[in-house]
Amino acid sequence: MQKKLNQRTHDLKVHQTLGLVTAIPFCAAIIVSSGAKSKRNKADPTGPPIAPGSGALDLHIALGSTTAVLYGFTAYYAIAAPKIPGVKPKGAIRLHRDLVWIHAPGMVLTPILGGLALSQENNGEKVHGIASAHSYVAWTTAGAYGASIIAVSWPLHLKFWEK
Amino acid sequence: MKLAVAFLLAALPLALHAQNQWTLVQSTLTWHITHPVHEVAGTSHDAKGKGNCSDGGCDFLIAVPVKTFDSGDSNRDLHMMQAVRGAEFPMVMVRTHLPQSALDAPTIDADLEVQFAGQTVHYSHVTLQRTRHGNDVQITGTMPATCSDFRIDRPSFLTVPIHNEIPISIDTTWRPM
Repeated sequence: MQKKLNQRTHDLKVHQTLGLVTAIPFCAAIIVSSGAKSKRNKADPTGPPIAPGSGALDLHIALGSTTAVLYGFTAYYAIAAPKIPGVKPKGAIRLHRDLVWIHAPGMVLTPILGGLALSQENNGEKVHGIASAHSYVAWTTAGAYGASIIAVSWPLHLKFWEK
Repeated sequence: MKLAVAFLLAALPLALHAQNQWTLVQSTLTWHITHPVHEVAGTSHDAKGKGNCSDGGCDFLIAVPVKTFDSGDSNRDLHMMQAVRGAEFPMVMVRTHLPQSALDAPTIDADLEVQFAGQTVHYSHVTLQRTRHGNDVQITGTMPATCSDFRIDRPSFLTVPIHNEIPISIDTTWRPM
């Protein structure tokens, strides 16, 4: 049993660290996302996109992909952590776990929708259909992910000046 | 008349015995941890305790299962169980020996022996407060425990470990048997 508890603590520590690391490319992907949107010449709205430059788009794709991969590892360690029989989730951990139902599908959908949007743009089409939900899904995922981190950190008592 | 005296004499040892034994009827034991961004307490009401007085001295024992401490978050409680090696050492035991006269004083200067997380630690001169409620006696105080005393690796949050001090407040009510 002690071995199981030790393994659980180890896995959840890795989960915590990877979860925080994942937040970095996630935030960065959102920050650079405005530069990754295609912009068209107002004088020629049906013409080819004048932006983004491939650099901004590539960076957004790279950051998004890194986020998805790190998220996968983060989730793995939470799932792999041994369960302790007879213990029902109680307290902040319940909200942390429930939010998975929002950010996990979001983390799968966001790159798929992003890929669809990119494909439509490359075909000279305006982004339409479900692909146009890419940014909304991404923001919802980010919100749920942030709330999930805050859920297990709350309430904060900022007394870091005390030793 | 002789019969009544004989009965009283026979009952006297039983009466003395009754005054010399105590049982724990109510308890609230709470550990407190402090972290730069968190302050958390975990409480147990499941302690069992017994006191025996003889030859002018009293021995008290309190035992509480580690897993009964509840901080309001099951994840934290399981982490606590891991950190204090609660599966290997499932009980916290507190023992003390007091002079019987100390039980009548409003404050008690106690030497406590604590078995916890596989270690036995002595705390000298712990001040406890005593309040009488009818037959019951309430004893309160704080045990100045630390992680290092019990060789507990301090859990960390955001890579910053909790403070070494983990004071345990004690609120117990004892009843003579």
